Amino acid sequence: MAPFSRRQMLAIIGASVAAPSIVSAQDTSPIRIGGMLPLSGPGAIEGHQVVKGLEFAVKEANEKGGVFGRKIELVMEDDESNSTKGVTAVRRLIEREKVPFIIGTYPTAVVIAASKVAAEYKVPMLSGGSTGAGATDANTPGDPWFFRAWPDSNGQGEDTARAIVRQFKAKRVAILHDATNYGVTLADQVTKVVTAEGGEIVAKESYNTGEQDFSSMLTKLRTLKPDVVYIGGWAGDGATIVRQAAEVGLRAQFVGSGSMLSDDFITLAGPASEGFAVATLYESTTPNEFGRAFGERFKAVYKHEAGTLNALGFDSTNIAIEAMRRVGKPDSAAIQQMLKSGMKDFPIVQGPKGATAAFDAKGSVNFPMFIAIVKNGKRTLVES
Amino acid sequence: MDLFLQYLANGVVIGSSYVLVAVGLTLIFGILGVVNFAHGEFYMLGAYAGVTAVTLFGMPLPLALAVVLVFSALLGFGAEAILHKPMKNRDATSSIISSFGLAVALQNAALLTLGPQPRLLKTEFSTIPIELGPVFMPLQRALIPVAMMVLIGALYLILRYTWTGRSLRSMSQHATVARLCGVRVERVAVVTFMVGAALAGVAGFLMSSVFMVHPIIGNMIVLKAFTVVILGGMGNILGAAVAGLLLGITESMTSAYLANGLRDIIGFVIVIAVLLFRPQGLFGKAFERS
Repeated sequence: MAPFSRRQMLAIIGASVAAPSIVSAQDTSPIRIGGMLPLSGPGAIEGHQVVKGLEFAVKEANEKGGVFGRKIELVMEDDESNSTKGVTAVRRLIEREKVPFIIGTYPTAVVIAASKVAAEYKVPMLSGGSTGAGATDANTPGDPWFFRAWPDSNGQGEDTARAIVRQFKAKRVAILHDATNYGVTLADQVTKVVTAEGGEIVAKESYNTGEQDFSSMLTKLRTLKPDVVYIGGWAGDGATIVRQAAEVGLRAQFVGSGSMLSDDFITLAGPASEGFAVATLYESTTPNEFGRAFGERFKAVYKHEAGTLNALGFDSTNIAIEAMRRVGKPDSAAIQQMLKSGMKDFPIVQGPKGATAAFDAKGSVNFPMFIAIVKNGKRTLVES
Repeated sequence: MDLFLQYLANGVVIGSSYVLVAVGLTLIFGILGVVNFAHGEFYMLGAYAGVTAVTLFGMPLPLALAVVLVFSALLGFGAEAILHKPMKNRDATSSIISSFGLAVALQNAALLTLGPQPRLLKTEFSTIPIELGPVFMPLQRALIPVAMMVLIGALYLILRYTWTGRSLRSMSQHATVARLCGVRVERVAVVTFMVGAALAGVAGFLMSSVFMVHPIIGNMIVLKAFTVVILGGMGNILGAAVAGLLLGITESMTSAYLANGLRDIIGFVIVIAVLLFRPQGLFGKAFERS
């Protein structure tokens, strides 16, 4: 027998030490999946809500025995709403943690930067709350690597604008919007849809974010007697406007943009928020039976009502885990293929009854949103 | 006409908050020559101190006001030790840059510890409406100009008739001669900062029942206050009071009769015009240095 060289000897010893653990790693070691959200800095409040949805989906999957007999382990990264940090986080999740897919993140700007990197690595990403159309528009149509299981902000703006005319029967509409890209885009869109549906825009006023005093603007608006006042901007400013409108005696139906879809908005605006309307993806009173069941299971664990941010975190994670289960192995490219076309029958908790994870060529799911009205300090869905 | 009076009243309310912040700023500038960009943070932290005292510790409003006064004065004491004491013999730019730094540091500290979530002081006055002829507003708003006049009146009396007030004024006229006459210059500097910060803090507290409180509210108010200080003439307290009200009214009229998007532009356009054509300010006296 030829004697082994030192190098061969080391190789054999190394292999014999490593082999059992490699084998067992394939069998029972947990599958690590990636999560990336703003957990500190701006957006942290939203991030901490979304992460509950992620954790809840993982917890439920593990209670059902995990996938392929292996437990799922969620590895979280904090992107601090910062594009540079987001790109680093994606690299770390893919290179070091070898995750098959990533759920993330909340700010659309960070998504655009980070999903580009994930697409280069051929690892699918599912939105952690980002709604901006820019994120899915950045996908190559037909070959998306970033998936969002709900409509983009344009869809939300359109649904809201249509509801202004059809549901609230408004003839005279006033638009208040902040001077950011978000506010201006929404204002233009609402103008377009309302005019097309036969409404009239009686006023269009802009303001700077963080502006404190709207009393004179609202007094002037009162003299124009609008049926509906639409506010396109951040929640804090929206709450200030609604409060001050009540102070100056401006009586109209107030309708807000998606950012005002939070309980904080209701707290800040106080009693003045009664009757305020906003388009929403999820409420725990949804007519969607999967959504309602999710809401009940969620409440049993977290002791509070599930909100939109919890629901979308849950949907993204739940869809990705199911896609991985259907593929049969934690393989990123195969999971992307499955998400692209194989999930059309899989129900989601957001949206109306019968909504499924039917991603379109751009990686977005389209369904009409609900209109909710604040009643007794709680958002209540109205029949459309 | 009825609406005009309403707009005027709205302008007076918002102008009153500018006055309170600007008077402290002009005091610090007039007496010590320090251009304090961190002044908006005194306003912001005063608001937070008040909101915390009321909502977290359940204090009644007068007690919370006392807390705000003490807290803001301490803040002013600290700011003096950073912005004025070590820098007074250096070029004025040192303290300007340093005050910028202090503003950013305080703002971010507030963001980290208090969070970005806006807060609001809810008082029992918030729902009581006041009607004065055609003018209508909630009581808490109507109280702001009243509180402004009381505070500015008190400050005016202190400056006019007390020993401390006299030493402050002598400092603003000529620091060296004041020192030769036995004014304790160091003490005056500390008192000036404490009074300035306390005024801004109280303004923040007063406005916290009307406007939201969050870590960056100081940014805009300090710029507005600088506008007021320049319009009123640097270091001129009554000038600042009049200019503050004027700016508030101008803004209110702009958003009522022109467009709301122009309201922040208009004040700064006026400032540039004043600096070009009447650099001593609308109410300042031009004088030649010998």
